Amino acid sequence: MSAASPFAIVALALVGAMAVALLEQVVAGARPSPAGVARAALGTLRQPLAVPQVKDAWLYHGAPVLLLLGGVLALATVPWTPGFRGLDFSTGAILYSACLAYVTPAVLMAGWGAGRPLQVVGGFRFVALMLAYEMPIVMAVTAVAAPAESLRPAAIVEIQHAVPMALVQPLAFALFVPAVMAVAFIPPFDLPQAPGELGGGAFSAYTGVHAGIVSLAQKVLVLGAAGMTAALFLGGWHGPLLPDALWMALKTAAVAAAMLAAGRRLPRAELPWLLGAAWKYAVPAAILAIVWAGFVSLAVYQ
Amino acid sequence: MSGLGTALVFWPTAAIMLVTGLYVFRTSSMARAGLLLLASLGVEGLIFLALASEFLGVLQLLMMSGEMVIMVFFMVMFMADPGGLMGMDMTHDKRRSAAAAVGVAVALALLALLTDWPAATLSGEAPDVRAIGFEVMGRSMFTFLFAGMTILFAIVGGIMLAAQGGRLGIAAPGDDGVAVPPPGRAGQHVPPPGGEEGHAMHGAEPAR
Repeated sequence: MSAASPFAIVALALVGAMAVALLEQVVAGARPSPAGVARAALGTLRQPLAVPQVKDAWLYHGAPVLLLLGGVLALATVPWTPGFRGLDFSTGAILYSACLAYVTPAVLMAGWGAGRPLQVVGGFRFVALMLAYEMPIVMAVTAVAAPAESLRPAAIVEIQHAVPMALVQPLAFALFVPAVMAVAFIPPFDLPQAPGELGGGAFSAYTGVHAGIVSLAQKVLVLGAAGMTAALFLGGWHGPLLPDALWMALKTAAVAAAMLAAGRRLPRAELPWLLGAAWKYAVPAAILAIVWAGFVSLAVYQ
Repeated sequence: MSGLGTALVFWPTAAIMLVTGLYVFRTSSMARAGLLLLASLGVEGLIFLALASEFLGVLQLLMMSGEMVIMVFFMVMFMADPGGLMGMDMTHDKRRSAAAAVGVAVALALLALLTDWPAATLSGEAPDVRAIGFEVMGRSMFTFLFAGMTILFAIVGGIMLAAQGGRLGIAAPGDDGVAVPPPGRAGQHVPPPGGEEGHAMHGAEPAR
């Protein structure tokens, strides 16, 4: 990690958040308008801060920061081009899951710190959901790491120079995508913050800078989810003719657009259905995906 | 990481770890205690990273988040005063537990100081991942499976306790906030007067 990369990551997070906001407008059928996004952001930032009069209010103030920190660090583990990496760990794929794991305490803190019944229940409800999402993510990451014989995301991209991993391991891909969408609160998995669920849930008390940070963190999470999906399953920077960085950007944008578009077309998942589907079907299927990963690692990649 | 870099990360994180760990026991709010413990143990992951034990550090960061949040969940479920707002004293048997704590701390400190630690320097592509993999799938497999099953049983038992009206049992007529039905109505449980005698009668009662 060079001295410049923290700045590069922060710049990427800010530019990427803007891009995700514009993509949301396009997917919604509106004309993309950067000025509109900036106006909405300024409007949010001008709101007065709501401060709950409870003992644990510091959790309420800390939660958006933790959410943003988790999102930005998750973004930093994504291998964008062969040269540019923020946190280039030999266990980077696990580090990505670890950064996403801090979304859970952030939402719990937001709910508990607000000190009001709907928010507290919303926070606790998300803990149950998040545990259900976390298992398929980690297991799908294990499945793609096996053929590469490395947990380094860049090494997992390298091994896809001929065939993208989504074609070799469609089951792991099918499990990973909804799970990362859920962690990034993309509909139909936006239970922690949907207006129809517990009156907006854990984040509904936030206004002003708090709400701005939460919204920024969610867009960074979407970018990280799309980027990691492109890197781990769609061959990352590999592609003919165009430069590496452009391929990765195009794939990330396509994945993000597909995720956001799916969210607009599918009905919101119900909580009991979601928990049942995750524990009864997704976790056993993820074990099958790991078995399949072992098979292809030995039969094809050796 | 260089020696200075390691020291710059190690000492402040160790201090944060100790202070947050101490405050876990200074608060009576279950959410605060659990999240402070998460801060303490999450920061420990950074210490592992500073000491070039990358896999353990990342794993510590990943596991502690989930585990401590689940712990907050269970503590809020089981404690009578989860928010710590009623000033309930949650400690018992202070003298003996303090003696045990001091004894264990001294023993661990002696162990750390007296052990002849190896001075090997790690190099190359994360040798610890490979070594841990062989350890977990080999010699230590039984230990890990046994620990996993034990934790699973504890979770199932905890949920069964929680499902049956909590640690304090299902509220019966006559408890705080539960109305006593008028006596004499058929099929209703009437709490008998008196302590021991009343408990003895429960067995003879016909099934409702």
